[in-house]
Amino acid sequence: MGNNNHMTAPVAEVSMPHVNLDDLIVCLKYYVDEEVAHIRIKDQAICATCDPKPCLAFCPAHVFETDRQGRMMVSYQACVECGSCRIACPFHNVDWRLPRGGYGVAYKYG
Amino acid sequence: MGMLTFDAIVVGAGPAGVAAALTMARGGLKVIIIERGRFAGAKNLFGGVFYTHALADVLPDYWERKPPFERPVTEQGYWMLSPDSVIRVMHKSERYRKEPADAYTVLRARFDPWFAEQAVEAGALLITRTTVTRLLKDERGRVIGVDTDRPEGSVYAPVVIIAEGVNNLLTRQAGLIASDLPPTHVALAVKEYVNLPAKELQARFGLSGPREGVAIDVFGDVTLGLPGTGFIYTNQSGISIGVGMLLSEFITHRLRPYEVLERFKNHPVVRPYLEGGEVREYGAHLIPETGYDRMPKLAGDGVMVAGDAAGMVDALHREGTNLAITAGKAAGETALAAHQQGDFSAAFLSRYRRTLEDSFVLKDMKQYRRMTDFLESSPHFMGTYVNLLNEAALRYFTAHGIPKREMEHDIIKMVRERRSFTGVAWDMLKLMRAMRG
Repeated sequence: MGNNNHMTAPVAEVSMPHVNLDDLIVCLKYYVDEEVAHIRIKDQAICATCDPKPCLAFCPAHVFETDRQGRMMVSYQACVECGSCRIACPFHNVDWRLPRGGYGVAYKYG
Repeated sequence: MGMLTFDAIVVGAGPAGVAAALTMARGGLKVIIIERGRFAGAKNLFGGVFYTHALADVLPDYWERKPPFERPVTEQGYWMLSPDSVIRVMHKSERYRKEPADAYTVLRARFDPWFAEQAVEAGALLITRTTVTRLLKDERGRVIGVDTDRPEGSVYAPVVIIAEGVNNLLTRQAGLIASDLPPTHVALAVKEYVNLPAKELQARFGLSGPREGVAIDVFGDVTLGLPGTGFIYTNQSGISIGVGMLLSEFITHRLRPYEVLERFKNHPVVRPYLEGGEVREYGAHLIPETGYDRMPKLAGDGVMVAGDAAGMVDALHREGTNLAITAGKAAGETALAAHQQGDFSAAFLSRYRRTLEDSFVLKDMKQYRRMTDFLESSPHFMGTYVNLLNEAALRYFTAHGIPKREMEHDIIKMVRERRSFTGVAWDMLKLMRAMRG
């Protein structure tokens, strides 16, 4: 009988596939609000001190990314409005509103 | 817009809001539904199984109105996935093959506009592309209307039904719930719609034609053994495939939702079903795992809340839209009674909750009140047992030239190595408590 240790491998040891999220986002229909960003960082200084920065991973549309200076960049245009960052930012540092009426994602299948 | 006054305002044109509006419009009220999307359903996404019993309650002749269902669910069950194996427990029956069926797969951007149209036909006014920004209250704190992002966009009514969905901003402003859902009480689900020609899809899933469909819920390796589920549902000519986990699990293990889904799609058991399919849409949505004990108050002065905003989900049976429709109808009927009595107080509107307590909505939620806590407190549950079952099956189905009695001992020994006897007993006890309420 073979060894079955891989069956209970801890999550950290599981290798995850690479996904080019742009390939997924490109098939989504958006009506981008060029004037108003519905997601904003309340205080960049807080993001700078946030160590794990969980939003970089859990956001399903990878809206959050840090630039070279370590500032948190918000690509609200790609947001699918799930609300995860509103709930899960450890410092409640995300100012999350609903996009203005008619703007944002519009599912074709849903 | 000037001073716009209605008998009732509904926020959100999802299943809860539309059921409420339909009920009130048929009862003769002047109703407005305010929806932020470009059309009803534009913002909505779910796994894909819709139960018809609640729809039949609000719309007895729904079948003649040709709802845009994908496929009736004629086979359903569970896949218990280990990294390289699967145990399938599927139920297929000729008795599912009656139409209208009890359950259909559904795509929300197609279904929700149809449902909203039924409310419009009944006389409700549907205003899309309009975001409700806040509730309007009088000096005594009673809800008297809503503000929207339209110029001069205030709308007034003696009763507002909040059906805003899982991002419950208005429910909080109404004071019906004290705090935001924590990441431990909300699931994040991602889903892809993969296009496949109907014939090909039917061949792969063993379906005899367009009047058959499969709904599979997947446990175990799909979520890396963490609390959560995956799903594969067949549409007319496409597959809905997705995975959902508690948001807290994504955070703790620093997982990217789309990578978890991609890993599921690449599983050797899953991949052949998707071969050659084209991803037509990707999306994400939160699911409230609020549970009975943390639900908001369902009514306040001049206001009621229904659907996801109120946490009305039975995750165990992947039910939600049917709870939402039943609740929307109950809220609508309560609003009708309130108009008759001229009483919109929280005390009067609380009969909405009593109606739901007598229905499956709150009975089921009460029964499974411990389910979220159970999964949260037993994170090993899915992974350990699903893997054990698969290994036990491998031994059971393989001829090794060793006596069967030894094989049985092997299996028991394997179980003991993974989890102590008392551990297993404790897990089963907790599971039973979570199931029986």
